[in-house]
Amino acid sequence: MGPRVRYALGELLLGLRRNLLMTIATVVTVTVSLALLGAGLLIQQQVDDARERFFAEVEVLIFLDDDVGSEQRAALEDELVNHHLVSHVDYESQEEAFAQFQELFADNPTLLDSVDPEVLPASFRVELVDPEQYAAVASAFEGRPGVEEVSDQREALDRFFAILNGIRNGAVAIAVIQLAAAGALIFNTIRVTAFARREQTGIMKLVGATNWYIRLPFMLEGLVAGVVGALLAGGLLLLAAATILDRVDSQIAFLQVVGVSEVLQLIPLLVVVGAAIAVVSSLLSVRRFLDV
Amino acid sequence: MITLDHVTKTFKKGDVVALDDVSVEIGKGEFVFVVGASGSGKSTFIRLLLKDLEPDTGDIIVAGKPLARMKRWRVPALRRQIGCVFQDFKLLEPKTVAENVAFALEVIGKPRSTVQRTVPEVLELVGLAHKADAYPHELSGGEAQRVSIARAFVNRPSILLCDEPTGNLDPTTSVGIMKLLDRINKTGTTVLMAPHDQHIVDAMRRRVVELEDGALVRDQRRGVYGYGA
Repeated sequence: MGPRVRYALGELLLGLRRNLLMTIATVVTVTVSLALLGAGLLIQQQVDDARERFFAEVEVLIFLDDDVGSEQRAALEDELVNHHLVSHVDYESQEEAFAQFQELFADNPTLLDSVDPEVLPASFRVELVDPEQYAAVASAFEGRPGVEEVSDQREALDRFFAILNGIRNGAVAIAVIQLAAAGALIFNTIRVTAFARREQTGIMKLVGATNWYIRLPFMLEGLVAGVVGALLAGGLLLLAAATILDRVDSQIAFLQVVGVSEVLQLIPLLVVVGAAIAVVSSLLSVRRFLDV
Repeated sequence: MITLDHVTKTFKKGDVVALDDVSVEIGKGEFVFVVGASGSGKSTFIRLLLKDLEPDTGDIIVAGKPLARMKRWRVPALRRQIGCVFQDFKLLEPKTVAENVAFALEVIGKPRSTVQRTVPEVLELVGLAHKADAYPHELSGGEAQRVSIARAFVNRPSILLCDEPTGNLDPTTSVGIMKLLDRINKTGTTVLMAPHDQHIVDAMRRRVVELEDGALVRDQRRGVYGYGA
């Protein structure tokens, strides 16, 4: 170990010990903020992932009037099959719909008894070449004679995603505020250290120590808080992924929830963000004491 | 070794003139007193040499380097050539005498072997080898100033700047400090000193540069403190 490294490490330990409480507060703030940031990013990932999967399977459901004629139906089907955005069309008659309904609610005889086969509409289930073109197909058939309703699966999904997005935005917003608070705390902690060492810093400048040499221990002190906070945040997220999300995952079968591996991939990013905020805050903090 | 060429330095946007068109040249190995009442510009003079302040106009050359064109990152290298001694010693209380001196070498990245060799040497030079493990609060004022000089000199700077080094010391102790500075000067180090009292100046009979309200009013070989003396 060179004299430079020895000096920096010695001062680092001294600084951490001197501001133990402050350092703990800083680490906790960094942890909370980065955990929230991580949660926000995971939700984002979740939304993107789910959106892609759901929308890939999105079908246009065209429900037909009960009194639709077979000719009219055949014309619609013909048009659908030849539509350039449509890849596949399935027709489901009222009887088929009822059979499926019976199957779905087999354990609920009261409900079954109350529903006549005529109540359920016949429908076309239309698979699209590109699910993104949903609106084009839906609007082309909406309000056509014989068509009762074109169901908008997207609208329902979008509402679901809007909620997820809202949660994500909230998490990121709180994370940003917390990160600012973490930066301020690091700034303050380092300033306390710098103030305690101002005589020493003054002498170092006088005898010709370089600014980076003087800065190094302060920077390391901030860096330790940033990196430790980031690792703790990663740990919290892992814990959450392993416990809470696992349970959710098994309950909502259709939803593939982000898990431990996604959290593991996120940790390096959290460390980088934590370290960057720590270094910038510490450098800003000691600048005043380095001004000659 | 030190050249000031028509240097003017003002504070508070020109309201306070600290140095007024000062030109002076100090050769290698000289011993120079800079005298003047307090507020005459002595401290400004010293801080300009350290590039701790920038002159408003004029050029300063220290150890062959023009300060005006010097990049910020070069300033530490300049300061390694200049030792500084102050009235208030500026010793670090938690460190021993030897550690205080060693600190000046460690923070400029000198290897441990150099530190271990030179610190005892310089403590020997200032006559404090026996106090190496004492703490600053255990020292007398004179001893503390010797430590401060040891620290300033341990890196063998070519220039030693002393801002009222005897300001806190009694006359007898001051004489000892002056003898030490004289000895350091004899090793070839240029010594520039803003003295605290006139007896020292009168006794030493060295070059005297006098400032009055920032202006250079006297530059005399083998001078005394005041005109009348």
